[in-house]
Amino acid sequence: MTQAVLQVNHLNKLYGKHKETQYHALKDVSFEMKIGEFVGIMGPSGAGKTTLLNVISTLDQATDGSVKIAGTDITKMKQNQLADFRSQQLGFIFQDFNLLENLTVYENIALPLSLQGVAVKQIKPNVIKVAENLGIQDILPKYPVTISGGQKQRVAAARALVHEPALILADEPTGALDSKNARSLMETFVHMNENLGTSIMLVTHDPLSASYCQRILFIQDGQLYKEIHRNHTRSAFHQDILHVLSEFNTPSEW
Amino acid sequence: MLVKLSLTSMRKMFKDYLVLLFGLTISIAIFYMFQTLAQNKAFVEANAMISATMFVFHVGTFILGFITIFYIFYATSFIQTLRQKEMAMYMTLGAKKSKITQLMFMETLFIGLISLVIGIIIGMGLTTVIADVLMDMLDFSAEATGFKAIYASSIITTVIFYIILFLLTSMVNAWKIGRKKVLDLLQANKQEDFIKTSGVKTFFGVLFSIILIVIGYYTMIHMAKLQYIGVILATVTIVPGTYLIFISFLPFFVKKLKQNRVLNETGINSFTLGQLRFRMLNLTKVLGTVAMLIALGLGAMTAGFSFYHNVELQASKFQANDIAIYEPTKEDMKTLEAMELTEENTYRYKVIGNGVFFLKDSLLERPPLVPHTGDEKGVGMEKLADIKIKRVKEKLPAPVYTMDGTKGEELPDKWWNAISFELNADDNMFGERTIYVVDQSHYEKIDTEEKQVIVTKAADFSKHLSAFKQLEERQKRVAESYVGHPVDKTGGKYNNYVGLKSFSSGTVFMGIFLGIAFLMMMASVLMFKLLSSAGADIERYHMLRKIGVRKSLLQRSIYRELFLLFLFPAIIGLVHVLIGMQMFSFIMVEPYTKIWLPISLFVAIYGLYYVMTVQLYKRIVLPKQH
Repeated sequence: MTQAVLQVNHLNKLYGKHKETQYHALKDVSFEMKIGEFVGIMGPSGAGKTTLLNVISTLDQATDGSVKIAGTDITKMKQNQLADFRSQQLGFIFQDFNLLENLTVYENIALPLSLQGVAVKQIKPNVIKVAENLGIQDILPKYPVTISGGQKQRVAAARALVHEPALILADEPTGALDSKNARSLMETFVHMNENLGTSIMLVTHDPLSASYCQRILFIQDGQLYKEIHRNHTRSAFHQDILHVLSEFNTPSEW
Repeated sequence: MLVKLSLTSMRKMFKDYLVLLFGLTISIAIFYMFQTLAQNKAFVEANAMISATMFVFHVGTFILGFITIFYIFYATSFIQTLRQKEMAMYMTLGAKKSKITQLMFMETLFIGLISLVIGIIIGMGLTTVIADVLMDMLDFSAEATGFKAIYASSIITTVIFYIILFLLTSMVNAWKIGRKKVLDLLQANKQEDFIKTSGVKTFFGVLFSIILIVIGYYTMIHMAKLQYIGVILATVTIVPGTYLIFISFLPFFVKKLKQNRVLNETGINSFTLGQLRFRMLNLTKVLGTVAMLIALGLGAMTAGFSFYHNVELQASKFQANDIAIYEPTKEDMKTLEAMELTEENTYRYKVIGNGVFFLKDSLLERPPLVPHTGDEKGVGMEKLADIKIKRVKEKLPAPVYTMDGTKGEELPDKWWNAISFELNADDNMFGERTIYVVDQSHYEKIDTEEKQVIVTKAADFSKHLSAFKQLEERQKRVAESYVGHPVDKTGGKYNNYVGLKSFSSGTVFMGIFLGIAFLMMMASVLMFKLLSSAGADIERYHMLRKIGVRKSLLQRSIYRELFLLFLFPAIIGLVHVLIGMQMFSFIMVEPYTKIWLPISLFVAIYGLYYVMTVQLYKRIVLPKQH
């Protein structure tokens, strides 16, 4: 059996103080992700996607339940341990890129390595390798303001990938991209997943982007609603996703 | 309606406006403080040791005005950055552009006027408190000298200056917002301030700034010769030179630091340096201002302290010996025995009728020390430090000398100095009597009791001040016995020392007073700039925290970044001060005496201020822990 990179067990998240009106953002969510898997999380706005991602990415704390990443239970860690864990085991890609605009592309990608105290000599080959993999080796000396949105997201992907984390968490990475760039970024993800063996968890509400995944978890109202696997072509999977989405009730009908 | 809206949102952004109000208020208070001195001509001229002080104050007003204009323009444009998004929103909702322009104008003016009122009140308070404390410390009374903390003329100057300034900035602000497109305003926050440094421009910038500063330094070192022109020349070279260094050299320097890969790619350094580099580009002028204010403030303080510590040195340049003791008593001898003396000469004299006769041979045996000004050829001196203390060399071949040469030969200059200033044989001591220097045979013919005068110098004058005071008291009685009526004895080093000390306290007061004012202004400029731009950094720190940078590392990065930002202007300001002290060498013997005192005082205050800024900055940018 392939080892699990992520194990989520009976995860609960409540917002609001005790005795006040509480909002149950996650209700008893459990699932598992294997090493090298490319999983998508989908659901309507307010379903709990971002909360789930925040808890998994250790930025937010669960009220109840456990999250294990690469065998470590992150729900029991302290702030500084969490920071170290994030920097070593996780790679982040955000919708609004979140690149540091005061650093060059090269420096942005190199930052996670510098932070981990990797020897200066080893940084350059690593950065160049990952940049070549993502096709951005030509823009390394540039500053983020001078490159396009698609390139920015590739840089963000490179930065998430450079320290070879156990898991990459991508939050709506195609949200700010046009369809051409979105498609090309998703192909990059597939390339990362298939050729480099990277485990990726993708949160999106774009069915086309989601169709690049191998498996999709749908959540609604804080609960796992459905799970589908890709068995055949991507376009067929796209149709499957659209089909599930159409089953969702729109909030106005409730 | 719009006015109401704008007031509501101003209240919402109260914190930001508070920062702005604080900055403006301090600037006005300091300007007022400066004017209480600069406008009070009677006080300055009565208390300054340099005749050109009033002129220096005029130049000071110019420099302060220049810095203030720059600062106010910057600070009020901060209002615009706070408000432009909202203004744009009103426009998209259908507000007319003319209305928005008007609103912006009124708002800037409103803030300006409020801060003007508060600023002048604070200025009066500060002036009163600081002046009281300083005068108390220096034993220096305000009423007697005509210093007024609440001074009509400076209120008027401050009000006129700032009203004009605020009207101007309001117009500029209104014009700027009126010129922009709604879209630009809406997206104002997203614009990146990215500036490229070109090699050629940097090179010429650095070259030009160095040339300017070298000229300025040269002028300051030779201030005694250049005088008024020197002050103007130093101002017009050093001020722009300093700004240019920050505009051209520093960004280049940080860029070079960044290019060092080992340094840049270790830990969080790349981020720290990246922050610094970006900061540097829009902080250059602020850092230049800070460096200038440090130079002015620290310079004024150092000069003040230096005057104070130079009094003794100065007194010993005017007189080689500490005291001349006529008819020493046993008590006097005992007092002298308790001191370590470097010079002790006994001369013999006789007093009869209307003549005082010094024995030539006793004088020549070991001639007294006198101050020698200029070189051998008698060319005038440029600095007090050029005065050399040497023994009188001239021989006295004639049998009889008098001071004015009416009865016998005229005494050579150096001997004249020795008798009048070192032996203090003047009107106060001997009344109307003629002072003679005679040879043995003439001396013996005078039929009266022989007396002695001891001319002496202690190793450390300031250690024995009270002893000298007692000795001088006794000498006063001796003088009275010669003259026959009470005398007001002014000669002697101790009396000179006391006189100089009280005279210098006016200058010391002005120096320290201005020093505090300038350093406060510096603090407000730097803090205002750093904190007002901190908002833009919040996202960066959050991002770093997300990708897993420990909080302690982020803190270290902040400490380092701000440290460098504080360091550069401090170094340049300090160098300006160290060289600038040369200006005073024509009036002070050692301008650098105890210079560590004001400097360490400055370093302590500046350091405290650095820690405070870091704490405030940290509170703004660092993500809160849940």
